[in-house]
Amino acid sequence: MPANQPLWLRVVLRAERAIGQPVESAVRSDIYFDVISTTTRVRRKAQGAAEGASRRCLHLLNLPAGSDIRNVRQQLARIERRLNQLSDEVSDREESTPVSGRAR
Amino acid sequence: MNPGLPSTLNPADLLQRVNRDVERSILRARNGVRYVRGTQRPALGTTPKDVVWKNGKAELWRYKGGDRRYGPPVVIVHSLVSRSYILDLRPGNSTVEYLTAAGLDVFMLDWGVPDELDADNDLERYVDWYLPRALAAARQVSGSQEVTLAGYCLGGVLAALYAAGHDNAYVRNLILMATPFDYNQMGAMVGLLREGRLNPDEMIDETGNVPADALYSGFYMLAPTTEVAQKANLLENLWNDEFVEGYQAMATWSRDHVPFPGAAFRQLVELLIRQNILMTGSIPLGTRQVDLINAQGHILNAMAERDNVVPPAAVEPIMDLVGDPALREELRLPGGHVTFGTGRSALKHTMPALTAWIIDHSYPPS
Repeated sequence: MPANQPLWLRVVLRAERAIGQPVESAVRSDIYFDVISTTTRVRRKAQGAAEGASRRCLHLLNLPAGSDIRNVRQQLARIERRLNQLSDEVSDREESTPVSGRAR
Repeated sequence: MNPGLPSTLNPADLLQRVNRDVERSILRARNGVRYVRGTQRPALGTTPKDVVWKNGKAELWRYKGGDRRYGPPVVIVHSLVSRSYILDLRPGNSTVEYLTAAGLDVFMLDWGVPDELDADNDLERYVDWYLPRALAAARQVSGSQEVTLAGYCLGGVLAALYAAGHDNAYVRNLILMATPFDYNQMGAMVGLLREGRLNPDEMIDETGNVPADALYSGFYMLAPTTEVAQKANLLENLWNDEFVEGYQAMATWSRDHVPFPGAAFRQLVELLIRQNILMTGSIPLGTRQVDLINAQGHILNAMAERDNVVPPAAVEPIMDLVGDPALREELRLPGGHVTFGTGRSALKHTMPALTAWIIDHSYPPS
């Protein structure tokens, strides 16, 4: 810690380390890992339940839900990926075919 | 007594000190307002460059401005989790600018920001598809048969797999910067995944990728309170335009993560983290087995001694696993994980050492 730092800054930096070190140890502990994995799972379940309920309500009114739009986006992405793959395969074949052998 | 004060203080010194403090207070107020308003953000990644190859989100950039005296070209392969401008943060504080100014022909392979279209990108896609094509483009535009391939963080894993998995890789030099190999030494970053508390699919969102927020949280939780110290330092140095710019640049980059493609993430967890397969020296890739000892070229294993993201213990095994044992060299640098790209330590130690090593292993000026 440089000696020319003002007193307030030295106090803040010392306090940060005094609190930070135990916090850093805590976030490397098994208990913390368990808490994170449990909260992640609970959050996903709650999100899934809320989505399911809102989807049913919207479908009753014949309206699309966010998850419907997400499914459409995923399908579009799959189609685009497939198109890209085909385009890559065509490019590769063109590159590997000798110029004289290419259709004119 | 305050060590900052001289033992005797004459009126002229006192007046000078008061003037300085008043001036700094005015500058603090001005910079504070700018900081809070979010205006005057520094421009990042500004070294002039051309896009010489592009496929999907991936782009290969060739940096301009230098007198290209040495060959072969240096192709930097960036990580999949962060933005590549960390290696070109600001003018005067940029690895690519430093390398370019030293007479090297520098390229950067940037992966862009993955979305739904990239969810199926697996390691094979990067190692066997993008890398060969990007490197072919680098060879073509530079007119050099060989390359110096430099991978940063996970980009180093991709570079090593490429150099080991392709007979015609034409890699003269392979530089691995802060490249994690022993995932048992990666600590808290991978603890949740290694021990099966979380499965990869539980971290993947509806786009098929791991969201950038999840990656940011992982890095943030390594040292959750350091932001307080950083903010206190900012407050003290708020009068200093250069300090504020540097702070804003780093703060922007450290929050600017990109989604991780889901397919590559599943492989990362299953193969690299849970099986720690790189430590066996061999990894299945596509229909073949890649033996890391077959990596071509001179190997430089560069690590930062105070890296808390990829600790030296996770990097050191490269010296026993990758490439010809007679061609392996190790470079230990002071500093942390981002020392390879930016900061005083980078300017003083990393950039000169990396540049000198590359030039030593390059063709002489023609």
